[in-house]
Amino acid sequence: MKQDTIVEVKDLCVNFYTNQRCNKALREVSFSIRKARTLCIVGESGCGKSVTANSIMQLLPDLGRIESGTITYHGEDETVHIEKLPRNGRKMRSLRGEHIAMIFQDPMTALNPVFSVGYQIEEMIREHLELSHSRSSELAVKLLKDMGVPLPEQRVREYPHQYSGGMRQRAMIAMAMACAPKVLIADEPTTALDVTIQAQIFELMLALKEEKQMAILLITHDMGVVAELADDVAVMYMGNIVESGTAEQVMSSPSHPYTRALLDSIPVLGRGKAQNLEPIRGTTPDPYNRPAGCQFEPRCDYATELCRRQMPTEESVNASDREEKPHMVRCFNYKELTHV
Amino acid sequence: MDRLLTLENQGKLKTSTMNRSVRKLSANMLALVGLALFLLILTASIAAPLISSYEPNAIDLKHRLSPPGETHLLGTDQIGRDIFTRILYGGRISMFVGLGSAIGAALIGVSLGTYAGYTRGVLDSAVMKLSEIMMSFPQIILVSILVTIAGQSLWNLILIFILTGWPSMYRMTRSQMLSIREQEYIQALQAFGIGSFTISFKHMLPNAIGPIFVNITLSTAMFILQEAALSFLGLGVPLEQATWGNILNVAQDLNILRNAWWVWLPVGVVITLFVMSVNFIGDGLRDAADPTQVG
Amino acid sequence: MVLVAIAAVTNTRGGRFMIPFIIRKVLVLIPMLFVISFLIFLGIELMPGDAVDFMIPPDALATISQADLDLLRAELGLDDPFLVRYGTWIAQVVKGDFGYSLQSGVSVRDLLAQKLPATIELSLAALVISTLLGSLLGVVSALNKGRLGDHVLTVAGMIGVAIPQFLFGLVMIVLVVFQMELLPVGGRMTPGNEAFFQRLDHLILPATVLGLSMTAGVMRYSRASMLDSLSKEFIRTARSKGIPEWRVNLIHGLRVAMTPVAVLIGFRLPILIGGSVVIEQVFQWPGVGQMFVAAVRSQNTPVIMMIAFFSVSIVLVASILVDIATALLDPRVKLS
Repeated sequence: MKQDTIVEVKDLCVNFYTNQRCNKALREVSFSIRKARTLCIVGESGCGKSVTANSIMQLLPDLGRIESGTITYHGEDETVHIEKLPRNGRKMRSLRGEHIAMIFQDPMTALNPVFSVGYQIEEMIREHLELSHSRSSELAVKLLKDMGVPLPEQRVREYPHQYSGGMRQRAMIAMAMACAPKVLIADEPTTALDVTIQAQIFELMLALKEEKQMAILLITHDMGVVAELADDVAVMYMGNIVESGTAEQVMSSPSHPYTRALLDSIPVLGRGKAQNLEPIRGTTPDPYNRPAGCQFEPRCDYATELCRRQMPTEESVNASDREEKPHMVRCFNYKELTHV
Repeated sequence: MDRLLTLENQGKLKTSTMNRSVRKLSANMLALVGLALFLLILTASIAAPLISSYEPNAIDLKHRLSPPGETHLLGTDQIGRDIFTRILYGGRISMFVGLGSAIGAALIGVSLGTYAGYTRGVLDSAVMKLSEIMMSFPQIILVSILVTIAGQSLWNLILIFILTGWPSMYRMTRSQMLSIREQEYIQALQAFGIGSFTISFKHMLPNAIGPIFVNITLSTAMFILQEAALSFLGLGVPLEQATWGNILNVAQDLNILRNAWWVWLPVGVVITLFVMSVNFIGDGLRDAADPTQVG
Repeated sequence: MVLVAIAAVTNTRGGRFMIPFIIRKVLVLIPMLFVISFLIFLGIELMPGDAVDFMIPPDALATISQADLDLLRAELGLDDPFLVRYGTWIAQVVKGDFGYSLQSGVSVRDLLAQKLPATIELSLAALVISTLLGSLLGVVSALNKGRLGDHVLTVAGMIGVAIPQFLFGLVMIVLVVFQMELLPVGGRMTPGNEAFFQRLDHLILPATVLGLSMTAGVMRYSRASMLDSLSKEFIRTARSKGIPEWRVNLIHGLRVAMTPVAVLIGFRLPILIGGSVVIEQVFQWPGVGQMFVAAVRSQNTPVIMMIAFFSVSIVLVASILVDIATALLDPRVKLS
């Protein structure tokens, strides 16, 4: 247990239940979020990234359940086993907002349309901090200002639909930051926004990270974002973390076929028409009809018979190098990639 | 949940290949109960002569107001007619009025809604305004006025129901059309130069059939209730013909209300059960056809 | 009104902006009223009998000669073209002359003034009962989704929707009045006991019957609206702030769910008016509904048509009020 880990997820299994079936959405997911560092979880839609984020906050829908594994929060004075807490119980609620905060993908639907933005920010403030009515209003205005919303005194009384997309996300960040959390979970915060606004929002998040020494868990499907912002990376496919490590390790020496394929399929600005774009062959399997062994096997160029039968275990790429952060990969054949 | 988990682990579960709608409907207990009840009452009414040997209008003054017994299953009314028989024969008329009006209103409302909902324009605005005005009239008041003008008769009532009922079918169909017309395949059809009639009736309408059927079912129930209320007030089908509502008409007499419960209560129960069963079926249809529901 | 008060507490919209909004809505109303008055007049024309028949008592009709009748018709302008007659009628109505009852000769306006309070009393009581009870039960049902309470309420609702209103009334009369002898059988008051609280025992039964019969529909709608609201994204955001569940459900969920329910009130007015026609008959409640039924039975055209006109107008006005309430409750509604 490293001293700088603030949230540790180990062997997390989450299932979703419908009338007829059971979908094992997360299978033995493990990763650590380091203090004041950005961890990016990257993967395609439907791979389980959002489920992971929601699990940490215990915000899974009614039909979802944490089956096994641990989620541990290493706070300043305490260590909390989140998976053991009752959802919406007092302890969990005291963690939410104050220690771990979350921002969501589409701020238009994530904010309540019938309450003013100021009201929703103050709600967060008054829940966790003992401030008077006027002090919390002041704080709400200050938060909006700090997040770069112009004319905050006026904006604080307005409604979400009166804001532009980028401003709405800033408002949501303001709300999340209200109690100075130690961890910020951002679930695809810019997917619904223009690219230019995206850059601004990330700039804001980076500044906050530095200033408040806050850890960020960033969920995204965009490798470009990972390249820009990540300190640590975890690559996810169909409910498994297939590779994880520092950004440098994963980006410069990808050890899993999927990671390698992802990096190959991204067009790079400036390389011109001749660059070789290799889309990953095949499609993601139906979550109710999964392959028996490694989930990526049907699409993998390095697949062997063993891969079809068994889920690969976690292997360390740099086991010998004890100084470095571990570079983990779930593949039987990762050695072949590193030699290429 | 744990049950599902163990079953899944054992590999026992597979995605069903049966048509989802059929599967949902057959699993819906209430809908099945409703269907059974509905068929029961329907067949009983149709087979009335086979079930009862009495004539619905046969007066027997010697046995007025006799309580349920051996000779008369549900007793007799104030002029000696057998109640049970009247309920059976009355069901024919009531159900005919209900279903006939619902289908008639649907024919007009859906046709207008389909075409106007697609083409928009003057026709749509005009019919919309007309339907708004008609829907602001409380139904009973509008129907009563029309009955006074046209006179009381079975066919008049059905026509009047159709006339007052089409606006809501129109609006429902229209709102369906409004969302369907935004789909891209409609644009494709337009690009091919296909005419409005064809597009709206042949391509768009089949997609809205589900809710339309549900609405027809629920309208039938509503019209039966309306006929009952009107006949109870004496403004519906002429009293000579037995309908469920007409039988209830005598309940206005406090004496009968108090002392001869068999004259009005059984009919009331039958109406309630029938309307409930139709509602169950309609709700079942709606749940089965609704793509947003899980399962 | 309660909802409007709640809206005022939780958020405020500039009073300046509401006034033009309201005025615009009223302006739309006026042409509609004209069209409706036209339809009403058409109805009057189509009804059996005309004004002369209305004016002359039946026994005198036997003795009067045809020529005199024709003269009378010409004098009254009954041979004038349709539009002229419509114009005269409209002018009369606007001035407040609603015609005279064929039965009693009393002016329709006086009759309405007499009977309206009773109907308002009944309708208001039923509206309050059904709205409060229906919303409450619907919310309870939604919060207990899938559990016993929800199932029980849903089944009760389905029965409630299927029972004919008047049947429910009849059954209640038999039970409460005859069997239990708890309340008086009909009418609005017993002579000598005219104060409101003394009249309550007369009001309870019809108001409850009418109110309960409408509760089922409201309950269903309120449940659906609440479930829909609770499934929205902002509910998850609210939870992520760590606020207690009751706040999530009642402050965030309920507030958004109530807007459609408020709108529903407007749509229920036609049903309420129709319902009061039947219920007043069952309970012999001396209101406009009972007057209407009697008028239809005796083909009392002026009374019939005026009641129709007013009921439609009330519905239209109510829909404007609902639009205003929606604008107050949902800030997304554009006032421009």
